[in-house]
Amino acid sequence: MTTATPALSPAALTAEYVNPLITATRDVFEMMLGCTPVRSGLRLKQPGDASPEVSAVIGISGGAAGTIVVGMSGEAACEVLKRMIGAEAYAVNDQVCDAVGEITNMIAGSAKAQLAKYQLSISLPNVVTGDGLRLHFPSNVCPMVVEFQSDIGPLSIEVGFTEI
Amino acid sequence: MKVLLVDDSGTMRAIQRRCLNKIGVEDIQEAEDGVQGLALFQAGDFDVVLTDWNMPNMDGLQLLQEIRQRNREIPVIMITTEAERSRVVLAIQFGVSDYLVKPFTPDGLREKIEKWVQVKA
Repeated sequence: MTTATPALSPAALTAEYVNPLITATRDVFEMMLGCTPVRSGLRLKQPGDASPEVSAVIGISGGAAGTIVVGMSGEAACEVLKRMIGAEAYAVNDQVCDAVGEITNMIAGSAKAQLAKYQLSISLPNVVTGDGLRLHFPSNVCPMVVEFQSDIGPLSIEVGFTEI
Repeated sequence: MKVLLVDDSGTMRAIQRRCLNKIGVEDIQEAEDGVQGLALFQAGDFDVVLTDWNMPNMDGLQLLQEIRQRNREIPVIMITTEAERSRVVLAIQFGVSDYLVKPFTPDGLREKIEKWVQVKA
């Protein structure tokens, strides 16, 4: 017997994914970085909005198709590396990107596990860096942005789903 | 005690290496994916394998299959973000010895590794 995937619009699915993402972010930060991020905002991403300097992108496939982007400043990203393995970095480098990618992988994986009914798979993370990054979701996607404050600085999570 | 660490994230390998060092394990070899991991496994005489699941080239489940075709006994611990029950069951069916979901606390990782290192000691 196959399990039917619940039929939800992309916008509804995006909204449904937000709470698991918030829980996952808190759990991952507490366990891996020793700090508790606090949600400070929730909004729709506007066309032209820049993403943070260090942004890790993970694709979602399976019973739904979407993208998650975890973003933070370069300073915060360096602090992620320091808290994970004790290594100092004074600028964003490959090691810093690897640490942010792994944190993002854990957040996406943990949120995915809370939505097991959709039988989702996640891609390996890709990390992009630079000032004024423009990450473009497909034109029919209306991504949401969850903003957090934390001991390592502000971070944001963009999430958007599309029809499959 | 000789341990094979397989994870595409250098950060994760560093965390696991530090944990192993703290419990006295110094003979550690590292691989970035299943292909490298299998090559090292075939060339070395390991006591325990720690592997991620999602990796490029060859994932941890394929690596587990390859290892089990060659060695039914060696402890293989999967350390992964794949937390769904169906995924854990699949890994067990493929012969995984133990399973740790990321994120984990340092104590959680130490306890899991210590358990299998002591079994082999």
